[in-house]
Formats: sequence, structure tokens, C-alpha cells
Amino acid sequence: MIFSSDDSRPIYLQIAQWIEAEILKEQLRPHDHVYSQYKLAERFTINPATAAKGLTKLAEDGILYDRRGMGKFVAEEAREKVIEKRRSHTLKKMISDLVQEADRLDVPEEEMMQMVREERKKQ
Amino acid sequence: MSVIQAEQLTKTYRRKTALDDVSFSIPEHTITGLIGRNGAGKTTLLKTAAGFIRPSAGSLHVDGEPSFDNLQVSANSIFIDESMNWPAALSLGELLQEGKRFYENWDETLPETLFDYFGLNKKDIHKKLSKGKKSTFNMIFGLAARCPVTLLDEPMTGMDAAVRSDMFRVMLKEYIAHPRTIILSSHHVEEVEELLEDVILIDEGRIQLHVSMDDMREKLIGLTGEQTLLTQWTKRHQVLHSASAAAGEEYVIVENDFSEAERREMSQNGITLSTVPPVQAAVYLTAKKERSIDDVLERR
Repeated sequence: MIFSSDDSRPIYLQIAQWIEAEILKEQLRPHDHVYSQYKLAERFTINPATAAKGLTKLAEDGILYDRRGMGKFVAEEAREKVIEKRRSHTLKKMISDLVQEADRLDVPEEEMMQMVREERKKQ
Repeated sequence: MSVIQAEQLTKTYRRKTALDDVSFSIPEHTITGLIGRNGAGKTTLLKTAAGFIRPSAGSLHVDGEPSFDNLQVSANSIFIDESMNWPAALSLGELLQEGKRFYENWDETLPETLFDYFGLNKKDIHKKLSKGKKSTFNMIFGLAARCPVTLLDEPMTGMDAAVRSDMFRVMLKEYIAHPRTIILSSHHVEEVEELLEDVILIDEGRIQLHVSMDDMREKLIGLTGEQTLLTQWTKRHQVLHSASAAAGEEYVIVENDFSEAERREMSQNGITLSTVPPVQAAVYLTAKKERSIDDVLERR
């Protein structure tokens, strides 16, 4: 199991995000066949219906597409879509959390920016 | 398609109502978790589905047939619990032979594959096994039967954590390879929750909740923050649980009926939002308001 139990997101979203990460890393490329709900269920020891829900979510977001009777495949623009989605949702949310916490701790803006820059250099 | 259908099902024993006007339906090829406190009615519900118990009122149908004392239902369902009584004269190997004679879809290879791994021997006598090994055999038998309806009542009793986790995996793989309708009651819900599609929460003979596992996870929400702030936000709620948190803050659990916007606003106000794991949620949803353990202790 790669999921941490204290991860509070629903499992199907964690599955969707795992596949997104595979697409970001280019482990999965456009038009690659994506693992079936059963493969995912076995791999992560989860209910196949939950895995299917994760796949459906990605199809709704246009990251995967359906080929009737054959399962789900990676869409042409999948990687761009994932990046766009993460920038506009995940990253924004994280920045909002960061700013809130900095406010609570009375960290001035310049100091916060400095911390961000230092962290970037480290990585 | 629903495989198990209960309508206004009631079962009363001499003094006690075990099931109280219960209606539900279980779709085909799902794994449903049955959770509730001891004595809530879980076993009665499973045994009624297995056809061992005659309803006092209402009905329970399996595949369209009334379940009680029905050969068709017996042949297509299996009930496994912690106190299975096997004929004492037969060895495990002989019990498996009997299983093969009775169950149409019996899978001989599964016990063959698993016996060694789980330290079972065909010459063993069930009565002489340790509690954990007894449960292991029962579970193997229950899965090898490949019954369309598989009812498991606390099937993991006595197994250690490693065996339980192996066995849950066996169950999942068997379910994927040969889909069937499984209802499982377990005290170890936190270990199986990811395998469950739906969950039924039963309390004092009534079904409190029958939802998907995802909905169960989001049913309640934990809020941590300054007390006055929390009181403002939870005016319309029944507080199911409260405790003091670090730094003079309060932690409360309430029903999660907040909108996305409300949640954002709360977190901007400095309230920390957290999920309530299904097992805990079950405890709070079935807690007896008038008699929490703290109340009882305070009355001394």
C-alpha cells in the first residue's frame, strides 16, 4: 500500500492522483493502456469499484479516454491537463495554506518569500 | 441487480428484539461491511440471510427466494462464523471433500495452495486447532465454496495481524477472480475498510446507515479550534463528540453537511478540519447520548 492511512482524501481520489503522478513522470504516455480497475484493486488492496471510480474521475476530466470494451487510455493532452489542474487547484490551495500559516505566525511577507526561495535552492 | 432483499424484517427472541423492522437491499457482486456494537443484531442479520433463522415478521429474500430453510438458498450461500461446528470425526481433508460434494462451484485448488502457507494439515482435526487456525480454515472453506452469497461473521477471530492481512488479500483476489456477493462483519473494520464498497451500520436492531464507504468517510467531520468559534459554526449541529485539544482549543465531531464555501471560510477562520475514520464515525453515530463512559464515571 503506498497510501498513508492518515491521508484524508477519499481513496478513489488517491487512485486518480497516483495515475496523474504516473502521467507527470511520463511512466504513462499518451495512448498508453491504463491499468484496469482490477489491476489497480490488486495492486493497492482496495475494492475494484473504488478503483473504477478513480478511473471514471480521470475520464471525466479528459485525462483518460475510453475505448469500448478495451478499457481506458491516456489522452493526447493528458500531461498538460494534469499540470494545468494541479497548478490551478493543488498548488493554489497549498499557497493559500502557506500564506495563512505565515500570517498566524506573524511571518512578514519578505521573510516568507525568502524561505520559499531557500527551499527551492535546496531542491 | 439486488441479491439480498430484506423488507420490514423483524426478529424477536423471547425478550429481546434483535432486528427491528429492517429493510435493505444488497446489490450483486459487492463487498458490504456490517458494523455495529456487540449485540446490535449483526449475527442475526447474517444468519437470517443464510436461512438459519425464521423472521418473526417481514421477509428476507436471497435471489428472489425466501431464505429460511430453503435448499436453493443453502446451496448458493455460505455462512462462516467464529464458532463453526464441524463434525468432530472428520479431518480437515475430509471436511474439504464434503464441501466439494455439496457446493457446485467448489474450488479444490484454493485449499491445496493455501494449506501449507497457513500451516494447516489435511490430517488435522478442527477441534484441536488453535483459535486462529480454526478461523483460517473456516475462511479458506468459505472462499473455496465460491458461493454467490458469502456471509462472513467475524471470520478473522484469533488470527494474528499478519494472517489477517494475508487473508483479506486472499479474499480480495478471490473476489476479483470469481465475483460474488460478500457481507462481512468484523471488529477490524479499519483493516478492511478499503476492501469494502458499501457499509451497513446497525444499532439496536435497526439500520442506521447503508452507504458507500466513500460517503461513510465523509459522513462526519472533525473541527479543531477556539471554542467560541466552534460554537458559532456548529449551532445547527448535534455535537457527537467533543474533547479538549492542544493550546486551549476544542475538538468537536459533527455531521459533515458544510458546503465547500463554508469549509473554506472555517479554515480561513483558523479552524482545522479533519476527517473522521469510518470506525470512529460508527462509534459516535451509535453512541448512547445519555450514558457516555465519562458520565458513568462522574456519577460515582
